[in-house]
Amino acid sequence: MFVQILFGLSALLTIASALAVLITRNIMHSCVFLLGTLIGVAGLYATLGADFVAASQIMIYVGGIVILMLFAVMLTGGKDFVSRAQNLLGLAPAMGNKWSYALGLLVGLVFLLTNFKLLNSILNNVTTKAHTNEFSSTVNSLGHLLIKEHVLAFEISSVLLLGALVGAAIIARPRKN
Amino acid sequence: MNQTIVSYLAQYEFFDFFLNLFKGHESLLSFLVYLVFALIIVGMCATIGGLGTYAERKISADIQMRIGPNRVGPYGILQFLADGVKMITKEDVMPNSADKFLFYLAPVLCLTGVFATLAVLPFSTGFEMSDLNVGVFYLIAISSLVGLGVFLGGYASNSKWSMLGGMRGASQIISYEIPVTISILAITMLAGGMSFGTIVGMQKGLPTNWFIFHNPFAFVAFFVFFTGALAETNRAPFDLPEAESELVSGYHTEYTGMRFGFFALAEYIEVFVVCGVAVALFLGGSNLPFNIKFDNIPLQLFEFAIFMTKTLVLYYVVIWIRWTFPRLRVDQLMSICWKYLTPIAIFNLVGCATWLVVFNGKSIADLVFGGH
Repeated sequence: MFVQILFGLSALLTIASALAVLITRNIMHSCVFLLGTLIGVAGLYATLGADFVAASQIMIYVGGIVILMLFAVMLTGGKDFVSRAQNLLGLAPAMGNKWSYALGLLVGLVFLLTNFKLLNSILNNVTTKAHTNEFSSTVNSLGHLLIKEHVLAFEISSVLLLGALVGAAIIARPRKN
Repeated sequence: MNQTIVSYLAQYEFFDFFLNLFKGHESLLSFLVYLVFALIIVGMCATIGGLGTYAERKISADIQMRIGPNRVGPYGILQFLADGVKMITKEDVMPNSADKFLFYLAPVLCLTGVFATLAVLPFSTGFEMSDLNVGVFYLIAISSLVGLGVFLGGYASNSKWSMLGGMRGASQIISYEIPVTISILAITMLAGGMSFGTIVGMQKGLPTNWFIFHNPFAFVAFFVFFTGALAETNRAPFDLPEAESELVSGYHTEYTGMRFGFFALAEYIEVFVVCGVAVALFLGGSNLPFNIKFDNIPLQLFEFAIFMTKTLVLYYVVIWIRWTFPRLRVDQLMSICWKYLTPIAIFNLVGCATWLVVFNGKSIADLVFGGH
């Protein structure tokens, strides 16, 4: 019961903040609402028993990505990007015309239907397994999976990150005149 | 399985009475227990934060050969209450061109981030909200909300001083998170788990079993952790985000009344939390020395007292450092983090791993005195 309520609250936080991200006209506020979405997703992970993933979600997105986005928005003059024009019942900022909205709707619909097709087998066999407060640790199994079975993907992604790091260092390097 | 305050209380007989009372609504009961203990811990830590301001003034006065606050109450100990009343009754001023929403949100984010860390702080083996499996990791993750609050506070005030302070704060907190996290990773490796229960449980017995004395690398890791933690809490000599002599008061220049109070309280509680984490990770946590046996309730009290004593001693050291060292420059701050602390922390991590493999996980004391 307790866990279900928390799950519901997290889902509500996720969806409400995601809507707020779209509706607000200030790009800084968008970033902050995105924070709410990411925390909500972390809450979903936590209530589903994936404690390590939840903590990683907060660590990476809240502590890293959102601050980085805020920095980027601020340093590029984020305050001046307040959108004045309106569209679609005066709610959403005018990021497109009716064609782009129609296209977006179509893509969303296709995406939704595909997802339902994929999730069909799961949705039909929902087991109402009672949640308990006793989560078993996922850290051990995650570590074993990463180092043993998916070690190639793990190593390749670390090489990718190294590449990104070197690239960033080269871009930010002071130029010799 | 997670040890929580509820599962700790469930071993006592009086808990059965409540279980009968809430028959069929056990989750409500556990919610109520969490609520009550959350209120107790937050109230306790808020008081510690308030007393921290008093301790700071008194100790700084001592270091500078002054008397310090001595008017309100005996030895001026009620000064923090007077300050609190002053802050609550002050006018809540907001700059005209400030970003209203973010201006209100920033201090709340700061305080939320700090209070959320209290959920895993191990005051004793029983008196801790929840012994999460990912305890330390959760603590590092959730405390990054403080950096966000500092940054947003600086941005939303729409003042140059606040802006500079907020940017310095965010970049400083992000940078110093790296050596701190890597030092914690070394200890996680020694303990073989991220929960505070595992980490504290590994350090039972004599102080030679503390992780700080486990091997030379862990000894260095403690100082890397402590330096980085000082920087993360924006304490002097790393108080660049609020550098009085350059930025008036940094990210909270434009804040008045209780909103400023939130920032100040968040800072002092965060120092307490960081000291508590240092104690739990490196200095034996709440373990009684010499494995003394007690009944359950006195044991909890003694453990709580030991944890608090160690933490408050470290708290004293933090204040002592603040009033002894001059402030760093920004370039010095960054070079300390990236050129010194981060490489040392990575070296420590590799060193700890090598030590674990070579000496089969034994500490120095085990090797010298031939322990288990």
